[in-house]
Amino acid sequence: MATVTLNKAEKTYPNGYKAIHGIDLKIDDGEFTVLVGPSGCGKSTLLRMIAGLEGISDGEISIDDKVVNKVAPADRDIAMVFQNYALYPHMNNYDNMAYGLKNRGHSKAEIDAKVREAARILQLEDYLERKPRQLSGGQRQRVAMGRAIVRQPKVFLFDEPLSNLDAKLRVDMRLEIKNLQQRLGITSVYVTHDQVEAMTLADRLIVMNGGVAEQIGSPIDVYERPASQFVAGFIGSPAMNFLKGKASDDKKHVTVGDGVELELDHDVEGGRDVTVGIRPEHLQMHSDGHGRIDAGVRMVESLGAETLAYLDFGANADNVTLRLQGTHQFTQGQKLNLSVPAEKIHLFDVESGKRI
Amino acid sequence: MYQSKWRIFTNHTILVLGALFMILPVWIAFASSTHTREYIFQHGLQFWPGGEFFSNYGAILFDAEATKGRVTALEMLFNSMVLGLGFAIGKVIISMMAAYAIVYFRFKLAVPLFWIIFSTLLLPLEVRIVPSYEVVASLGLLNSYTGLILPLIASATGTFFFRQFYRSVPDELLEAARLDGAGALRFFIDILVPLSVTMIAAIFIIMFVVGWNQYLWPLLMTTDDQLYTIVIGIKQVYNSLYEGGQIPQFPKAFALTIMASIPPVLVVVIFQRMFVKGLVETEK
Repeated sequence: MATVTLNKAEKTYPNGYKAIHGIDLKIDDGEFTVLVGPSGCGKSTLLRMIAGLEGISDGEISIDDKVVNKVAPADRDIAMVFQNYALYPHMNNYDNMAYGLKNRGHSKAEIDAKVREAARILQLEDYLERKPRQLSGGQRQRVAMGRAIVRQPKVFLFDEPLSNLDAKLRVDMRLEIKNLQQRLGITSVYVTHDQVEAMTLADRLIVMNGGVAEQIGSPIDVYERPASQFVAGFIGSPAMNFLKGKASDDKKHVTVGDGVELELDHDVEGGRDVTVGIRPEHLQMHSDGHGRIDAGVRMVESLGAETLAYLDFGANADNVTLRLQGTHQFTQGQKLNLSVPAEKIHLFDVESGKRI
Repeated sequence: MYQSKWRIFTNHTILVLGALFMILPVWIAFASSTHTREYIFQHGLQFWPGGEFFSNYGAILFDAEATKGRVTALEMLFNSMVLGLGFAIGKVIISMMAAYAIVYFRFKLAVPLFWIIFSTLLLPLEVRIVPSYEVVASLGLLNSYTGLILPLIASATGTFFFRQFYRSVPDELLEAARLDGAGALRFFIDILVPLSVTMIAAIFIIMFVVGWNQYLWPLLMTTDDQLYTIVIGIKQVYNSLYEGGQIPQFPKAFALTIMASIPPVLVVVIFQRMFVKGLVETEK
């Protein structure tokens, strides 16, 4: 049960590279926070700073209102699950889970009770005597989680724990982690580059880019109102379409492609150049010709449950993704008539990428 | 891979011939050690064993007179064992700890220190033997096991091998141990040492054999017969060849040589098995 507070936390490496540019964040008790971003954005560094494996160059990190900048990792009352599991290969799974408790001087009986309880929760009871290498990837990751939960820490830290697993197992483990975290109610910070994991697990999402938190908010909020072009492009799959556009003089429309005028739900400065963002799932197809967009089909991908079509509707808009439910038969070059609801159009500043 | 019968046959023929060729001198030494000295003196080296096995080996092992010194071969074997084990174990411990410091502790001189240690690889014992002798003599350690072993146990080779091994251990393991509350010493003993078992076995084998075969250093260090190692003992027996008046002790010299070579062979055979087992087990 704990809160984690970051106050202008910064990380500068000895070679002068600044990995984290001052992050302010308050993670509530029991909250599941996900740090997401492309590789090199500093998300793992930030997690390791909370863990104490990396020093803090400036600012403060507190766990439960106690500043932990100078506290050793073992004394921060946190537990971490690593990408490569980091299980001790020469110990059996029981000893792997018990090691942290042993070092903290718990009694044998107490350790045994805690390890067996964790093993029960994680359905590892039959594997305790085995060595980690005798387990599958998913089971190893569960042992790693067991090692974290036996200590009943204040904070769980996950560093891309699922990226070494195959796709199906990843979905199962994702649900399991979410379930476990809710049951135990332990404050968690989870790092991933996978936006599906981020969306499904997070109570709160932190999208990072270049050592800066670009947006902090609930997953749905981030999806519906991305604060910048970067966030918009990163969250959502297939990625959002970005088109070059120009606001019309009446401030209520924006022109993209070959003179396609789209209606807006809010005013923009007339004549301004903007980046127009449209999610593939928000393009609607019309059979009666009411749509404002006429586009030609370039290519089609049928996924069964949905169909992706790549469209061309003019200059700077020649590779727009359309996502439709169900299966659809299109021929190459076929003309489609489309529209976008005004409230689903995102506008971004051309220079700064900020939402308008 | 498919191999024709003919090819298997030739491969094996070459291997068998090579093995026989290598073992032949050892066999001749053994066969010659089982004859009387008069017989060897008259007829030269022997290819077939004679009937003096028990008397020759018994005399050497238990009768100090037979080795022309004041110690029996048994005592010399013991001395060699102390030297070999002390040398190998000492080297393993020292080089593991040195490598641990170099790899895991961030101090400014780590890299230059490592290269200084590494560069001593270029300097064999013989180069520094006079100063080493001087130091040991002034410490009053001549004619002691300590003096025999201590100056030799720093090992650049061992340090280098352990350093390379530690660097291949994933950092996450260290981080996990840190989160589990393991300090520097705990991590070393609980995690690193068990992980390096195969490395330890490998270094131990090599170093035991090197230690066992040390000649120059024990020769210089020990003036007291009681501390003679078996390798020096062989020389001692041959020495008596030149003292005239008697028929040379060829069979006993051969017997001593055979005995001197058995322990290293045993160590290699025993630890090799462990070494290979370890290698197979850590395979992922």
